Amino acid sequence: MGRRHICAILWAQVSRLPQGNFEPLGSGRVPKWTAAIDMVCCLAVIFAWFRQLWIGAEKDAHPDENVGGTPRTALLLGVLTGIYVGLLDIGMASLGLITFWFLTLLILRLESFRCRVLVPALITAAIAAFGAEYLFTNVFVVDLPK
Amino acid sequence: MDPAALGGAILHIAQPWTFFVLVIGTLLGIVVGAIPGLSGAMLIALTLPLTFYMQQFDAVVHLISMYVGAISGGLISATLLRMPGTPASVMTTFDGYPMAQSGRPGRALGLGITASFVGGMVAWVVLLTINKPLSILETRFGPFEYFTLIMMAMVLIASVSKGSLVKGLISGLLGMLVSMPGVDPATGMPRLTFDWYMLIGGLQLLPVLIGTFAVIQIIKDSFDVAAKPERTKVDTGGVLMSPRDFRRHGVNMMRSSLIGTWIGILPGIGASIGSVVAYTTAKNVSSKPEAFGTGSEEGIIASEAANNATVGGALTPLIAMGLTGSVIDAILIGALMIHSIQPGPTLFLTNNDIVLGMIAACLLANIMMWLMMTSSVKYIARLIYLPRGFVLPIVMMFCVIGSYALNNTMFDVWVMLGFGVVGFLLEKARIPLGPFVIGFVLAPLAEEKLRSGLMMTAGDFSPIFTRPFPLAFTLIAVALLLWPILGDWRRKRSGS
Repeated sequence: MGRRHICAILWAQVSRLPQGNFEPLGSGRVPKWTAAIDMVCCLAVIFAWFRQLWIGAEKDAHPDENVGGTPRTALLLGVLTGIYVGLLDIGMASLGLITFWFLTLLILRLESFRCRVLVPALITAAIAAFGAEYLFTNVFVVDLPK
Repeated sequence: MDPAALGGAILHIAQPWTFFVLVIGTLLGIVVGAIPGLSGAMLIALTLPLTFYMQQFDAVVHLISMYVGAISGGLISATLLRMPGTPASVMTTFDGYPMAQSGRPGRALGLGITASFVGGMVAWVVLLTINKPLSILETRFGPFEYFTLIMMAMVLIASVSKGSLVKGLISGLLGMLVSMPGVDPATGMPRLTFDWYMLIGGLQLLPVLIGTFAVIQIIKDSFDVAAKPERTKVDTGGVLMSPRDFRRHGVNMMRSSLIGTWIGILPGIGASIGSVVAYTTAKNVSSKPEAFGTGSEEGIIASEAANNATVGGALTPLIAMGLTGSVIDAILIGALMIHSIQPGPTLFLTNNDIVLGMIAACLLANIMMWLMMTSSVKYIARLIYLPRGFVLPIVMMFCVIGSYALNNTMFDVWVMLGFGVVGFLLEKARIPLGPFVIGFVLAPLAEEKLRSGLMMTAGDFSPIFTRPFPLAFTLIAVALLLWPILGDWRRKRSGS
């Protein structure tokens, strides 16, 4: 459903574009028709889904790939990464420092906060964060977010 | 192909810095290919920002060597963990793992390594011989020929993707749409920007690639981060194949290599299907088909020779036509474009040194891969047991820095994260991501060709149906679209 809506929004956007002056298609035709065909394909999938529901067909034979583990870790990883990027975006501290805390927290969480992982996590986070900062700033001369 | 020029390219790679770049690229590829959850596509996308600081030639050598290494490294975890490091090594798990469990891991790895090497070399010979004639043929192609060829490739990619054809098409078309925001190159008019200035420059390839390959993989791996694989001790006994082994397995090795090369050349199919077809063929012609799946030497050789052969095969349309054979090739095309190299028939004229560099790198990376893997597989195998809790956060950090380094803007980092989430949701809806990336990479080229063709004919579409090549490509595309529908109809008819 979401994909069909995305295509519809894009279709509406490009419909506003004018015809080309010096070439037959103009800027809007190709995206407009691409969005239209994509919407038709989405409708076909939705129709097939309703049809399956109607005739009570058996479920898709392919099982879900992520059968093991819990989504909680993935969700936490997403939230932590979002906060990490947000902090970098507002320039709260240097990249090395924010990355160090991000890596430490994430490693500890992924390793279930086991005490014996604390020192290796701190060392790994320090080397990776400050090493990357040094490498990108002094070797590749990239203006990292500050 | 001029042998002297190729020799010159090989000598260029033999210079200390370029050779170092080749060695590091191959080693990184093997290691990343060996670690389950990290893929060659992810490695190339993440390493791309580092190649901005290299010369074009060195960057190309680095990217090709990573590609060769990554396809080969997948065999290690497939054999020792029953987890293919790369999707191309799935078939190796069927026989590599049982052989390793029966106390012969060195033998299983040795057969796979040498088969990979032979597959790579056979494909290299094909790459060397047919590339130039193919590109000469391509120079006779006009915009309509090019447009229909890309459309045919897109349909082919969608039809062989995991899941249904319609879902493959949805993915490919969505990828095409996502490549379209920004200033239209033909008219200079902003489109699909939603009046937001950040979108005027469009969505950059690198953040989209990192999001759809690296971030998704991290999200997926984090679901089951606590899983610890069982360790297998690797001895180096039997890693080298004897002349007797070559006599026994020579035919299988050559046949599988040729199958892999041919499948690699076909747009959109890639290494996974190459190894499946070669494995199935080997099983069908084998005198001991019952041994397949229980630790058969023929099975390991067929799978590994074919998947490595697809690398050289896939480079052929990439160099000669600018078309992709797989996801990694799509990333490679994007990488070349970022380095101001436009793959396609004119590449021989505009960047002949780069073409020679790619061909020479393919040869040397294969040799380097064989040397590295036979001499140090015991040590590389230890890396596959690295705890994921440490690896995933560091990979995520490189995703962020890599996306930022492209244009020094945080917008690209948000785009990367956004595409990670979107891609994950698409995968959950069982929509394949391969066509999405290939659509994203090829759409600008397809649109440019269509529009320039229509400018030449004043808006007349008839050349698509009156010229031989466009007509043939269109008919093949229509046939590919109708094939699954007809197959379904016939199945239902015979069922009723």
